[in-house]
Amino acid sequence: MTALDNYVAPTSLEQAVVQLQELGEVTILAGGTDLMPQSHAGRVKFKRTLMNIRRIPELRGIVREGDEIRIGALVTISEMMAHPLVREHLPLLVSAGDHFASDQIRNAGTVGGNICNASPAGDTLVPLMVLGAHVELASKPDDTLFRRSMPLPEFFVGPGKTRLAPAELLTAVRLPIPPKGFVARFHKFGTRPALDISAISIGVAGVLKDGTFSQVRVAFGAVAPTPVCGCATEEALEGKKLDAATIAAAARAAQDEVHPISDVRASAWYRKEMIHNMTKRILEDVSANH
Amino acid sequence: MSQQTINFTLNGVPTRVSVPVQMSALEMIRNVTGLTGTKYGCGEGECGACTIILDGVSLNSCLLFAVECDGRQVTTVEGLADDPLGRRIEKAFVDAGAVQCGFCTPGMVMQARQLLERNPRPSREEIQRGIEGNLCRCTGYVKIIDAIEAATKE
Amino acid sequence: MPETIQRDSLIGKRITKLDAPEKAGGKTRYIQDLDVQGQLYGKILRSARVHAKIKSIDTSAAKALPGVHAVITAADVPYQRPIGVAKDHFPLKTDRVRSLRDEIAAVAAETEAIAEAALKLIKVEYEDLPVLADPNDSLKPDAPLIHPEPHGATAKHDHLKQAQGIAYLGKPDNIAMTFDYQQGDVAAGERESDVVFEDTFHLHYVTHCCMGVSGIIAEFDPSGNLLMYSNTQVPFLHKREFAEILNMDPARIRIIQPPIGGGFGSKLDIYPFEPITVFLAKATGRPVKLVFTREEEFLASPTRQPVILTLRSGCKKDGTLTFRTVRTLHDNGAYTSWGATTPFVMMQTISSLYRVPHCLYHTKAVYTNNPYAGSFRGYGNLQATFAVEQHMDMMAEAIGMDPLEFRLKNAQDPGEVTPQGMHFKSCGFKECLTTAAEASGFLAKFKANEADKAKPGRFKRGVGMASMLHVGGGAKIYPSDGCGTILKMDDFGSVTLITGASEIGQGSETVLAQLVCEELGVPLSAVRVINNDTEITPWDVGVHASRTTFIAGNSAIGAARKARGKILDAAAKMAGLNAADLDLRAGHIVEAKNGTVVMTLAKLLRQLHFSDKAELVVTSFYYEPPSKHQDKHFKGDVSAAYAWATQVVEVEVDTDTGIVRLLKVTGAHDVGRILNRLGLEGQIEGGIVMGQGYALTEELMVENGVVRNPGFRDYKLVTAPEIPEMDVRFIETMDGEGPQGAKGVGEAPAICIAAATANAIYNATGVRIMALPFTPEKVYRALHAAKKEAA
Repeated sequence: MTALDNYVAPTSLEQAVVQLQELGEVTILAGGTDLMPQSHAGRVKFKRTLMNIRRIPELRGIVREGDEIRIGALVTISEMMAHPLVREHLPLLVSAGDHFASDQIRNAGTVGGNICNASPAGDTLVPLMVLGAHVELASKPDDTLFRRSMPLPEFFVGPGKTRLAPAELLTAVRLPIPPKGFVARFHKFGTRPALDISAISIGVAGVLKDGTFSQVRVAFGAVAPTPVCGCATEEALEGKKLDAATIAAAARAAQDEVHPISDVRASAWYRKEMIHNMTKRILEDVSANH
Repeated sequence: MSQQTINFTLNGVPTRVSVPVQMSALEMIRNVTGLTGTKYGCGEGECGACTIILDGVSLNSCLLFAVECDGRQVTTVEGLADDPLGRRIEKAFVDAGAVQCGFCTPGMVMQARQLLERNPRPSREEIQRGIEGNLCRCTGYVKIIDAIEAATKE
Repeated sequence: MPETIQRDSLIGKRITKLDAPEKAGGKTRYIQDLDVQGQLYGKILRSARVHAKIKSIDTSAAKALPGVHAVITAADVPYQRPIGVAKDHFPLKTDRVRSLRDEIAAVAAETEAIAEAALKLIKVEYEDLPVLADPNDSLKPDAPLIHPEPHGATAKHDHLKQAQGIAYLGKPDNIAMTFDYQQGDVAAGERESDVVFEDTFHLHYVTHCCMGVSGIIAEFDPSGNLLMYSNTQVPFLHKREFAEILNMDPARIRIIQPPIGGGFGSKLDIYPFEPITVFLAKATGRPVKLVFTREEEFLASPTRQPVILTLRSGCKKDGTLTFRTVRTLHDNGAYTSWGATTPFVMMQTISSLYRVPHCLYHTKAVYTNNPYAGSFRGYGNLQATFAVEQHMDMMAEAIGMDPLEFRLKNAQDPGEVTPQGMHFKSCGFKECLTTAAEASGFLAKFKANEADKAKPGRFKRGVGMASMLHVGGGAKIYPSDGCGTILKMDDFGSVTLITGASEIGQGSETVLAQLVCEELGVPLSAVRVINNDTEITPWDVGVHASRTTFIAGNSAIGAARKARGKILDAAAKMAGLNAADLDLRAGHIVEAKNGTVVMTLAKLLRQLHFSDKAELVVTSFYYEPPSKHQDKHFKGDVSAAYAWATQVVEVEVDTDTGIVRLLKVTGAHDVGRILNRLGLEGQIEGGIVMGQGYALTEELMVENGVVRNPGFRDYKLVTAPEIPEMDVRFIETMDGEGPQGAKGVGEAPAICIAAATANAIYNATGVRIMALPFTPEKVYRALHAAKKEAA
């Protein structure tokens, strides 16, 4: 039995953040694809109130705002993949979405939910990180709506743990429109095209100009308690020609900088090997195709 | 335990039920409204046996909170009886030999319905990807893929 | 009425399943979908410890919860008797828990939620015992004993005193069963050998993963008769066993089998949840329904038998096999179910798949605190074939012969009686080998891959073959292997076939109906099959061992022929013709030579109905044809017919990751004769993918007795995008005893895949892996180790 005894379904952001502030103990329901099985398995305990945020229009939609694309927290993975702005400017999210669970789950699971669930293996997190995503947070501690934003990597604290304040709601994720010459790759390791919890995942992005790689961003999934930036790998690549020596050095840097655990999906040793081999493969692919 | 009263359309029929807040749509469909064509296979969205269509989009009903059905259109396998594409898919499953124990079949049929609505002429590979969230332990999928392919051709 | 009708046959056609339309429409009611008026919901409290003494159980808080009707422990059911193949556990555990699945208490309540809440209120005190998790440790002198003494307070109950079984007697060691078989003299065989290999193969835990989870409804009527809605694959055996367990008259037990969401051998034994549900029904006086969760299904349903198998085998330079020695260690788990008895089948493959003059076979099935293994499609044969067929490739390579030629040289022929006593009356083995090899282009690919192996490149292609022998005409694992049929014809020419054989999705009712149509000349739509109620159907030994088409098919044919004889005799009399000159076609009686219609079948049946001369209900039965049963040394025939198959598997190995992709499977199956091509293909395709899961993706990870992946998220069934291309060929050997010449095929297609995949990985990479499954990490480690060794 749970302590859950209250249900609210606010219809505006304003209403939601006010209720969050007033009710205190609230479990947020977005797509539900993780909440339901986790609560059934006893891994998540419902708080006193279940707040269904799916009726809040402000959390929906994908728009361009200046040099940024704003993806509402409630946008489903399927909606994200189908959206013309995403397809044009952020094709990495389309290919990443294609590895996400199954059609049924893509239809239900939301971008905001995937972020707030903060799984080290969350399928959208690594791609969002290398695309330079910021999360947009809202709360109403007093009479005015308070919004803040932070780079996605800073948002994650541990498995299932984020910097979201108790009365705060994640409203959207913002991504800069990539500059000219921008290349990005996402690799999710697994034997299935999707419906698989990745043993490791890798995202690489940067600007490739005249064979030189710059503004490099690297991120890894499932090798630490949160998705992590590959700072040493970025350093090994930044401003370098993508030749065999650079690629080898970057792959080694990647292997050395991750400290995964062993679990039912893979051993730590194997994860490090795959980080090496797949980083190498991704970079070779970038180098060969640009 | 908090009960909520919700109104929705179930296979075209206006429906009003009272459900506990944490109840899944699967439990509601099976135990409250008594439609047992939607199956429980895993409870965590890994098998697709509970696939339903909510406002035109296929979902695992085991992952969906029943309260989220409020104000929406729910279609279960029983609802395909009045749906020409659904009936065509069901017949194709029978004719192609896509049914063995049959437990995964309603979920497969629902997902095939979704797939063909969005992509009326899918390739075999697209069909395979389209049903990747539906497990079958009997058929090895070949005849299920055959059935969905055949359903596109009529 | 047509004037003439030509003979038509459904045999070999693509016949859609009789039960498919209602299943596709979601109208079929499985056990999960059934409700009985007034039913309560049952739930079981399982152990929180792997191995421990039960010090105390406090159910008072659970009993006090509103909506709870009964909370029972072993103390509440002193009449319970032990279950399992070795009668080595009580449904509700008495003295200790021996595995994490063990049943401690059970609740019946108004709702599932209340029952679950009540479980949480039961307090159990344990005293931990050392855990025995590795079967190798079971035989050590200081190993903890799993069944050191009788289970619990036996002295209180008189009936227990005379009883047999480990639960009553205890076991002074951890050996549950041993099997020994010998033919010839392996030492002599070894002396003749030019090449000898010895290797140890590790076969892992997998489980059935029926899409429909286990469930049962039990209810007593006011006179004390027990009705169970059960998914068992062996209703008649269960009736008898339940009578023993519950200490009741078997005549008072009725089993109805609702449609079943997958079997695959998982439902051949009685499992604790079934009698426990009956205890709850008895305790409450209400019907009780108990259905597993998926997690519970993973934790508390049987597994395939895990095996550690050491194989030593040899051959001469000319390719003649000389001997085989096999020692296997079966991890029995805490209790004994059918998994322990898989040596019956394993030794057939060892001794008789090929001609081997000298064989020695030894199995020890030992107790541990792990989950216990049951029967699973293929029944030990996947394990035996995995080892034998890898050694076949290794020996072929060592003597410089190709794998196909080596196999052909040692393959069985029709008419052969093996040293173990198996008589291969029909045998298409060599045709399976050559057909699969030719259809797949095996030899050319095998050689090309060999040549490419050492070249640089991330992706390597490989091709591998494996063959199998399996029972295809029933299996004499019980004292009898029969099936009864009642056939009824109504006034309108419709046939009701009442058979003992169960439908578990494999399509038996459709095939049985086809066989009846063939005899009676009626359309398929005129046949109804009744097959799910022990009160109505005649006896049958159960759906297993690929036996239903063969045994129940022959039984149905027997009944249909009796009816046919009566009909033709009557028609002949009525029409003044000879019965021998008449035939039944499309619901009519016709002249056999030209198809001229004499009368409709319906009309004749109506005449007969009032004539009192005719019996419109006929009964028949079929037992396997007389042959010598296996003696206690396991010599003798085990089936009336044997199925053969060769499968060629093509893989691509990603040497950067260890990912093995199954590209194509080419299979050639000796099925005797094709009865329903659609159903047959479905069986083969499904079996291939089940074999693929065993080879590549599935593993129930058990660590120190704890199942670490009880869900589909980390127990990976093959999904639709992963399946290989398939090319399946059928070899029709027209078995003399088979129904219309057919043999059983249900288990065959799953058997070879893992072995053939192992051989294909070797062909691709030069690395031989003797442990399953071939997960990316395992393959990568093997490749990595080989690279290191080479460097």
